[in-house]
Amino acid sequence: MNRRGFLRSSAAFGLGAAALAASLKPLLELKDFTSMQKFLQKYYKEMTPADMAKVLDRITKETERQYGVRPHVRDLKPMDGVSFVYALNLTRCIGCRKCVHGCVAENNQSRTPEIQYIRVLKMPHGSLDIEKSDHDYDPEKVPEKGFFYMPVQCQQCTNPPCVKVCPVHATWQEADGITVIDYDWCIGCRYCMAACPYGARHFNFTKPSIPNDGLNPDMAYLGNRPRTMGVTEKCHFCVQRTRVGRYPACVEICPAGARKFGNILDPESEVSKILATKRVFIQLKEELGTHPRFFYYFDV
Amino acid sequence: MTTAIRNYLVFLKRCARIAFVGDWRYYVWMGILTTICLLGLNAYCKQFVHGLIVTGMSDEVSWGVYIANFTFLVGVAAAAVMMVIPVYIYNNEEMHDLVIFGELLAVAAIFMCLAFVTVDLGRPDHFWHLIPGIGQFNFPASMLSWDVLVLNGYLLLNLHICGYLLYSRYCGRKPAAWFYIPFVFIAIVWAISIHTVTAFLYVGLGGRPFWNSAIVGPRFLASAFTAGPALIILALQVVRRVTATASAVDSDELLDNSTSASGRPATLADLDLLARHLPELATVSLQIRNDTLVGAEVLELEAGKVLLRQGNKDDAAFFILQGRVVVKREENGRFRIIRSGGPGDQFGEISSLAGTPRVATAITEEPSRVLRLPADSLRKLMKNPAMNKIIHSRMTERLLITDRALLMLRGIVQVSMLINVFLLANEVFKEFYSGNLHVASAKYLFVGLHGHHALVPWIWTAITFNLTAMVLLVLPLSRSLKWLNLTCVLAITGIWIEKGMGLVIPGFIPTTLGAIMEYQPSVNETLVCVGIWAFGLLCYTIFLRMAVPILQGRLSRANEGREAAPAELRPSC
Repeated sequence: MNRRGFLRSSAAFGLGAAALAASLKPLLELKDFTSMQKFLQKYYKEMTPADMAKVLDRITKETERQYGVRPHVRDLKPMDGVSFVYALNLTRCIGCRKCVHGCVAENNQSRTPEIQYIRVLKMPHGSLDIEKSDHDYDPEKVPEKGFFYMPVQCQQCTNPPCVKVCPVHATWQEADGITVIDYDWCIGCRYCMAACPYGARHFNFTKPSIPNDGLNPDMAYLGNRPRTMGVTEKCHFCVQRTRVGRYPACVEICPAGARKFGNILDPESEVSKILATKRVFIQLKEELGTHPRFFYYFDV
Repeated sequence: MTTAIRNYLVFLKRCARIAFVGDWRYYVWMGILTTICLLGLNAYCKQFVHGLIVTGMSDEVSWGVYIANFTFLVGVAAAAVMMVIPVYIYNNEEMHDLVIFGELLAVAAIFMCLAFVTVDLGRPDHFWHLIPGIGQFNFPASMLSWDVLVLNGYLLLNLHICGYLLYSRYCGRKPAAWFYIPFVFIAIVWAISIHTVTAFLYVGLGGRPFWNSAIVGPRFLASAFTAGPALIILALQVVRRVTATASAVDSDELLDNSTSASGRPATLADLDLLARHLPELATVSLQIRNDTLVGAEVLELEAGKVLLRQGNKDDAAFFILQGRVVVKREENGRFRIIRSGGPGDQFGEISSLAGTPRVATAITEEPSRVLRLPADSLRKLMKNPAMNKIIHSRMTERLLITDRALLMLRGIVQVSMLINVFLLANEVFKEFYSGNLHVASAKYLFVGLHGHHALVPWIWTAITFNLTAMVLLVLPLSRSLKWLNLTCVLAITGIWIEKGMGLVIPGFIPTTLGAIMEYQPSVNETLVCVGIWAFGLLCYTIFLRMAVPILQGRLSRANEGREAAPAELRPSC
């Protein structure tokens, strides 16, 4: 190669390298790199108890570093002989949205941008046509005459379309009927969001933000531990509460007593009695064959 | 074995090298594409840091232009098969080399598809969870896992087929049929599968009535077989254009340097010399050799002499004993190099045997010694089975992009477009006539819903383009290339809108809970898309840059070690 050729090709090479470096510049703003431990973390169902202990330790440390609060993170398993069912009384619901905000606080949902697991629909009297619903009504004015209110959240389908479509088994249904997500396994393809007929799944389009004093330190791995950017999340019937015998936050906070929750395998439970005695109850979009564990009923 | 590996590495090295060599047009084109690519990379880096919030997507419309482009491009990749069918099933020789262009387009399209799904991932660092065996592969339940398999499988199939064919041509040997024909047939079925599986991604979702329709799969195929070949028609013409040399210089050269037909009579010694480069000749009996020599002549020529001229009618065929001969074809006032050959190569045999006018002009590139055989002698030589086979097989190895091949593709586009429009009409009827509640998405797309109508101008543009293209395709007008090109552009744009944004976005509007949230791609998102398209074009340009000289015979094992000569690599393409 002659001198001129060498100069020319090194100039071209230098220009190319500079252009590449310039286009990669935004990466400098990257703050939290994925650690090797997190990158190589095993799939939930393949972790040994020792693996899980390490992971919980990592989550504890990361959460403490970020929020200044030391959380209590557990890996809670389903209880034997329990199959959860939710029943919601449409006659009673007044549309106050207290459940929405109770859920946000309990489950460490991002405040900006806002993620909410429960969406309350204002429906015109007499119709269950969801396309007539109003999502943006003013909660100060409720209840309004001529309308009823229908809160929708994950229906915990017995035949969940979201689980079927996930290409990496990052979401599955557990023995107690709760469909959960391994946030550290989700690849963020959002196919589950396209598949869900109830708009129950939400995506962390950016890093979620929760005020330090708003963090609920009582956490479960498959439940309300803080999520990262780029993964989906949804209602999990508050596994951090319900798997230790407490009610979900939305049930506790409801001022109208419209929300009922319990074990359908126990004939004495409130939900068993409701489903046995009420004349009419509905499952949302029953025709899709998703068989929700979430029932809507009326005071009749 | 080691020589085989060495030869292959040399082949790869020379291919890689040639990608960096070209005339100024090539450098400008590649420079522009690289710049756009880097702009896209820059935009993606921003998205990588800040998340998908920099796109226009939301919980309500959770897929956008990334998945729309992915869907369109899977169709383009699948359509490469439409080039293969006429060649291998109907033995249409004219399109033989064009298949490689189609398959290279498929490879480039799949690269773009993979890029589009990757940029759509929220956690690209978790991609390894998708790798079967290492991660958790939800097969066969998830249609997305099917898509991962069929897309990567299709990529490997196409890489194998065109890689093998090109390497065989580079080595100057006939490809072994068993080593690629079975894969060609697998690829045909596979191409249908990649697009059907992609359609099933949408069709399988019961909660989205707009997608949950059996006709989506057939519509995908029809639109793919319209847009894909249309894109190939345009690409082939670009190839034809850039492989043409400027007409003025060459035509002068041709006028002056015609050679007169005198030479010395050929002898058995000349045939022995030829046999060194053409081993099949060694098997020819003395009897046939002597018959062949009747009327045969050996010509000693300087560089730049015309051996045969396009349009002329004479009956000789030529074998090169020494030196180099280039074969050019005049198309629309420009000359295009079809191939160039060295010792042992033949030319002129097609019109010699068929008695038809010459389809191209042959000129010596270097001082050469050439054996000229009258048609009778050639026929005698072909009585030997080995010679017959080699001469016939070489007859098909010609890089001719004829107008007839383009019109054959036009036929495919024509039928597919008619079916495509018919299926669209079926869908529209089903949505609107019954008037059930599920019409909301279609209403949003075609006429707007409750005052929201972002997609309405787009879809009507698409429909206008498609219908215009359909009418043009049916009219004989589109037999002229100018009109055909316009038709192709209309068809590609129309389908890109209809099948990309027109299919993906309305699936989300209104949402499953009846809310309306519109979607508008952000600037950053658009830059990423444009970057990926530039990347795909860059790949396709490089593939063609490598494939064209190989098909022309200008990059071959025979001329290994001579690539330093700039004239050989630089010219014309």
